[in-house]
Parts: sequence; C-alpha cells; structure tokens
Amino acid sequence: MLQLLKIEWLKLKNYRTFWILSGLYIFSILGLNLIVFRIQQTIYEAKEGQGMAEMILGRTPYSFPITWQMTAYVSSFLLFIPGLLLVICLTNEYSFRTHRQNIIDGWNRREYISVKIALAFILSAVSTVFVTITAAIFGFASGSSLSFDSFQYIPYYFLQACSYTMVALLIAVIVKRGGLAIGIYFLYSLIIENVIRVFLNFRGDNLGQFLPLQSSDELIPLPILQNVQKRVFEPANPTVMLVLVLVYLSAYVYFSIRKFETDDL
Amino acid sequence: MAILTVENLHKTYTNVQALKGVSFTVPKGSVFGILGPNGSGKTTLLGIIVDILRATSGSVKLFDEVPNPTHRKRIGTFLETPNFYHYLNAVQNLEIAAAIKGHGKEDIDRVLQLVNLDQRKYHKFSTYSLGMKQRLALASCLLGNPEVMIFDEPTNGLDPVGIAETRELIKKLNGEGKTVIMASHLLDEVEKVCTHVAILQKGTLITHGHVDEILAQEDIVEAGAADSSQLLSILQQYPGGGKTSLNGHLEVAFSPGTADLEAINRFCFERGVTLNHLRLRKKSLEAKFFELTQNKN
Repeated sequence: MLQLLKIEWLKLKNYRTFWILSGLYIFSILGLNLIVFRIQQTIYEAKEGQGMAEMILGRTPYSFPITWQMTAYVSSFLLFIPGLLLVICLTNEYSFRTHRQNIIDGWNRREYISVKIALAFILSAVSTVFVTITAAIFGFASGSSLSFDSFQYIPYYFLQACSYTMVALLIAVIVKRGGLAIGIYFLYSLIIENVIRVFLNFRGDNLGQFLPLQSSDELIPLPILQNVQKRVFEPANPTVMLVLVLVYLSAYVYFSIRKFETDDL
Repeated sequence: MAILTVENLHKTYTNVQALKGVSFTVPKGSVFGILGPNGSGKTTLLGIIVDILRATSGSVKLFDEVPNPTHRKRIGTFLETPNFYHYLNAVQNLEIAAAIKGHGKEDIDRVLQLVNLDQRKYHKFSTYSLGMKQRLALASCLLGNPEVMIFDEPTNGLDPVGIAETRELIKKLNGEGKTVIMASHLLDEVEKVCTHVAILQKGTLITHGHVDEILAQEDIVEAGAADSSQLLSILQQYPGGGKTSLNGHLEVAFSPGTADLEAINRFCFERGVTLNHLRLRKKSLEAKFFELTQNKN
C-alpha cells in the first residue's frame, strides 16, 4: 500500500489545482469559525444582555470543552470541499484515460481503487487534524482552560468527513465525467438530500435522519439552544447513528470497488 | 512458447457484437499485425488482452499462463490514445509509469532519447503536439526494455518522418528478438513491418498466418483482342492461369512470379487470336484485401 500511495503522491504533488483548493479550504475552516466566533463574542459581551445569552443559549460555544463540538459543527458546512477534491482527482483520471493506462502498465483494478479510497480517508484525516487545531485555537481564544471532555466529536467529525468524501468517490466512479459528477455531488449533498429529508419527515417520524449524509450530520448536533431543539424534535440516538454511518461507509467502499472491478474501463 | 493465445473470444457491447469467436496465437519473436478497417474490433481485442475490457466469453493467455498484472508489467502497451497526466511533464509522467511497472527512474532518459523527445522533456504534456504525445506513449512502452510490446495504430497522427522512424523502431525491436503485436488499418504498414498478420472484419477473424502467404501479391495479366469472347475461351484453357475476368481488358490471375507474357502471346497466336494488348501488373494490396474480406461475406 505504501508503494501505491507513493505513486498517488507523484500524481498529486505537482497538481496545482489540488493544492490551491486545499489551501483555500484550510483557510476557510479558520475563516468560517472566526466569523461565528466573532458573532459569539458580540452576543455574549453585549452590555445590555449581561447573562441573558448564557441563560438562553448556554455556555459560550467556543470555550472548552464545547469548542470540539462547535468547531466540528461549523466546519462540517465546508465538507463539500474535500469531496470536491476527490471528485476532481478521480474524474481527471477518467478524462486523461490514465485510469486505463495505470491498469495497462501493471496495476490490478483492486490496487487502483484501493489507493483512491485510501486517499478519501487521508483527506478526511487531514481535514480532521485542521479542525482539531482550529477548535483548540478558538478554545484558548475564549479564555477557557483545556479540556477533552467532549472530544468524541472530533472522531465523529472524521467519520462525517469520510462520509462526504466517500459519497463523492462513489459518484465519481459511477458518473465518470467531471462536470456532471461535480454537479450531481453538489446538488445531492447541498440540496437534494435535504429535500428528500423534508419529504421523509412529513411522512414518518423523523425518517430523514437516516439518509446517507444526514446520518453523519446527526452525529454532531448544534451545541447551543439544545433545550429548545429538544422540544421541537426528538434528537437522534448517537449510537444508532454511529452504527448507521459505519454501515453506509462500508457500503460505499464495497460498491465503489465492485463497480471499478467489473466495469469496462 | 506462445506470447499470446486467444481462444474463441466474444465481446458484446449493449447493441454491438464487437468480437465473434476470435482465436489465434502469437509466436515469440514475431511482429504480429492485426489488420482490419475501423470498427472491426482491433482495439476491443487489445483492450481485453490488457484487462481494461471484460470479455463476454472466451479466454486469453499471456506467456502460456492466465493473465495477471505481473505479465502486464513485462509488456509495453500503447492503446488507442496517449494517456498521460496533462499537468505533468514527460519525465514526471514516465516516473509514474515506471513506478507502476516496478522500475526506478534510471531508464527514463534513454527512452526519451530513443523517441527524440529529450529536448522537450521538461515541458508539460498539455503543450505537446499530437505527434509528440504519440512519441511519449511509445517511450513509455519502451520503459524497462520489455520483451513484448503492444501498439495500437502506432503511426496514427505522425508526420511522414515520424512514421518512417516508428516503423524502423519496430523493426529494430524485432531484430533484438522482441515480440511486437500491433493493430493497424494500413495495409502497406502491415506489409512493410509485420512478419505475421491476422485480418479482422466486423469482429470475425478472416484469416491469419505469415504475411508473405496472406498478403502475397498475385500477378495479373491484362490481354486484349478484337474478339474478346474468343480470347476468353482460349485463355481459360491456358495452363497455370487462375481466375479470369473481363474488366475493360481481359484479366487473368497467376500465382506470384509465374506469369510468362511471351508464352501467353505464343499460346494465343497459335490458336488464331492476335493480341492488341498485353501487360503484366501486380495485384494491388487493396484489391487483395477486398478479395479476402469479401470472400467471407
């Protein structure tokens, strides 16, 4: 596997689009959290509302230990970017037809698709590392002292990132064409799944939470206003969601391998 | 040892039967041409051999074994189009190909020199002309000095100099004892370069064997006389003459090198016919090809 990853590195290291987007993505994680952090400061430090915010909203969301959950929650809105990177990496190969050449030159199909799946997990891990750092930065900036109490939201975030990148990978392997895959991926992750969720929620008791990406979103609920949230709808059962996310991830891995191994390339 | 054995290969796409039971064997040390018009199934056949297409039924053997990725590492293959990363230069692209084949970087300069691409080796692939892309694909095939090479229309898109160089290269490789399997729709290319040929049409293998036997060009004798029908009946009795046909002049086919104009002239004169036209020519390769492909229809 290490040898395969080295070759993947040869493909990526001089690919400027990839690095520019990655750089902007990391900057955006910091930036988006900074925006929300500033809003928090404005609300909690307003003179006339002394204590009110704390009473209604709960503790400042960027202070330890809630910062792990808050930063993961806010950053998850940017998860379509690692997915986009993965779609680009895969569909490039289809349009350059290098996916065929790699096989012709002596990789077997399993090796080719495994290294792409590994890439999805690596990108998710890197994203998780930056989110962890960001969470710590804002935790300290809130003037609280380090605590790892609800640190489980960081591994949850990793699973959520894996869900987004693996859905992207699966769409790319099925669709193969760059523009179309990007379009479908964005529309599905940002709009279509939410539409389906709303419809399902009409029909049954919060059925929408079991959808592929939504189930991973449910792992990290918004940490403020939780009392209010509880009155509006039943919060998802974390254990059920965790199992469901793992089942979905295994399904993505299985179907992408199967698709690539049986197709004409 | 056979380099490649194909047995009763079928391939069906959604609506098209691309291969209908193709079988042949490529002997070691040959330049094996797969000849056929566009859409005859050449690329499909090669694609199945290198495992990027799945055969519907039938079997392929490489080096007398069931194909595996290790075999492909020992074969330099250039299929259909030059497939490279557009944003990388020639050296970076070849580093990837070499790494997949399990070689180091040491061979890259040599192969780039062989195809005259060393001047532009640090330029991005996307800036290359079609001919240069083609050369890079050939260079990639030569990495690690493999014993077998598969080329799909290797001279497509090259200028006349490039075509001549590529054909020389193939002959040189064969001279070093390497086996080359190449697909082409160009008859004279196959005739000039190959030792063996398989002719494919609409997914059916029409014939295969030594080039000299299959593409042997028959002698054609054209003859004319005032009374064509009398001439026809006389020439039909001429010993050694093959098929006769009326095509402006009367045409008689002879196996290569056996037509004797003097004897024909005497033969006709002795039977009371004076010729007003007598000419010997070679049957064109194209005509030969049409004959081969039409007999089976």
